[in-house]
Amino acid sequence: MSARGAHVDVVRLLMLALVAILLLAPLLAGGFLLYSLSLCFANTLAVLSVSMLVRYGGEVSIGHSFFVALGAYAVAIIEHRFGLSIVVSLPLAVLLGAGAGFVFAFPSRRLSGIYLAVATMALALALPEILIGFEKFTGGFEGLYIAQDLLPGMPKALQRYYVALAVLVLVCLALAHFRKSAQGLALLMAQAQPRAAEAMGITRSWARISIFTLSAALAALAGALTGFASSTVSPNSFTFFSGVFLLVGSVVSLNRLSLPAALVGGAFITLVPTYLAQAGDWVPILYGVALVVVTLVANAGDLRRFLPRGMRR
Amino acid sequence: MMEAVTSDGLVAEGISLSFGGLHVLNDVSMTLQPGVVTGLIGPNGAGKTSLFNCLTGLYHGQRGRSSFAGTPLNGLGPAQRAACGITRSFQNLAMCPDLSLLENVLVGLTLKRRSGWFSAFVPTQAQRAEQQDAERRAMAALNELGIASVAHEKPSDLPPGTLRLGEIARAIACEPRAILLDEPAAGLNAVETRDLMRALKRLMRPDLVLLVVEHDMDLIMELCEQIYVLNFGKMIASGTPAEIRAHPDVIRVYLGDDADD
Ligand SMILES: Nc1ncnc2c1ncn2[C@@H]1O[C@H](COP(=O)(O)OP(=O)(O)O)[C@@H](O)[C@H]1O
Ligand SMILES: [Mg+2]
Repeated sequence: MSARGAHVDVVRLLMLALVAILLLAPLLAGGFLLYSLSLCFANTLAVLSVSMLVRYGGEVSIGHSFFVALGAYAVAIIEHRFGLSIVVSLPLAVLLGAGAGFVFAFPSRRLSGIYLAVATMALALALPEILIGFEKFTGGFEGLYIAQDLLPGMPKALQRYYVALAVLVLVCLALAHFRKSAQGLALLMAQAQPRAAEAMGITRSWARISIFTLSAALAALAGALTGFASSTVSPNSFTFFSGVFLLVGSVVSLNRLSLPAALVGGAFITLVPTYLAQAGDWVPILYGVALVVVTLVANAGDLRRFLPRGMRR
Repeated sequence: MMEAVTSDGLVAEGISLSFGGLHVLNDVSMTLQPGVVTGLIGPNGAGKTSLFNCLTGLYHGQRGRSSFAGTPLNGLGPAQRAACGITRSFQNLAMCPDLSLLENVLVGLTLKRRSGWFSAFVPTQAQRAEQQDAERRAMAALNELGIASVAHEKPSDLPPGTLRLGEIARAIACEPRAILLDEPAAGLNAVETRDLMRALKRLMRPDLVLLVVEHDMDLIMELCEQIYVLNFGKMIASGTPAEIRAHPDVIRVYLGDDADD
């Protein structure tokens, strides 16, 4: 018991140290690095939304970029149409994401595994068409700018950075709390032992609809922050491959929901597309490789089974 | 067949179940009275687990009716039957490997828990109190079965006997009105079996329906007041332990079974 206690204390200290470093980073870093970090935080949230679906639902989504885009465009459109800042649009984006997740999850509540993954792929494929088709709202190819501040008087770069960081840390705390909640335990049971869970009153469709709705809400929150952190939304940032990358990011973070692990996944998907873009002719091949890796991993469930026994948590 | 079911217990009438051409249950009836420990015995493959699954809504028989405390159960799924107060354990251990033993038992309380989605993400005073209350009840159930000391261990670190007791703790934690235990003593050593028997006897209340499936005759004879015997999907006998012991069909089935062992 005391060994466990000590272990928890060390983990907690390391986590605090990480947050402290991130809080102080703007003193040293500037300009582009700060901007990249802000984007990285937003991407980390998007990775967390996919990981949450994997951990609590045992499902893989290729189309979470749909919900991310929904959140981002919600912030942009609300600013353009009504002149309201993210104080208003952020919660609205989350509600919108939850609603869209529910609308998608309800008819597909009996789908699982590769069938659900393919269904989510339809979302990712439809996304660019929708963004360009509804030009009147979305600004078409050009996209929209997001200009409003959240905290007046603070430099733009710092705002982006601290708002994204604060939301990320709060979400990680909320996820840690969720793991111990009645709903969190019920979802884990429904995934590991669906029949036993049913016998305890936890239906499979409740589990599927709940986790997909939650995960879509988190994806939309991530999108809202992506929009805020980059000050712009455009179809370029939400291609079919964004969804694949979110899944890759989740795999890289071993589907973990802790801050450090998720940050690794978020950093991966923030940096790799930049480098991929420089690869020119190699881009399609590299995307292909990414797809194969994801397919293999989706097939294997998740990467944790390849870890030594003691490290699976 | 049985006429006029007046019982307020768990009643199954004329249940028939088949998979393809395989007849697993054939016109099976049984009445589980509250306040009585009922046993269900029979050789392996007799259909005991299948009957269990019919009672808990996991399988739906092609024919037959079931009711609990006068309420018809037909058409209800397992989750709805759980909401009626029927809980069970599984013959094959059904623990979630990611959760500690205590957390596995906590899941058994899901239907009794009242905290909403908001407090699932944001700690509140009320949620903390609710959580502590649930943990206290789960610990009490573990204590009842003598395994509270390993509450925080993961299932992969515990012996099968302890996990089986854990499953029973999970079934009793929510203070159900009917408990169905599928081979609770399988994999337990002599000491654990004795603890289990003691716990089950302590558990008994006048309003509780308790059904225990076993193929260990001695255990059933000591524990149960009413015994049903299933063989090849047919109910071949029912009665008190003395009646069962003297029943010619049972003797034939069990002598045959002994010869196999
Ligand atoms: N889902 C199923 N599909 C096909 N056959 C089944 C199924 N469940 C049980 N059976 C068959 O029903 C028979 C009785 O099984 P079971 O109820 O597990 O017996 P017991 O619990 O008495 O050992 C066995 O022959 C088994 O193969
Ligand atoms: Mg069985």
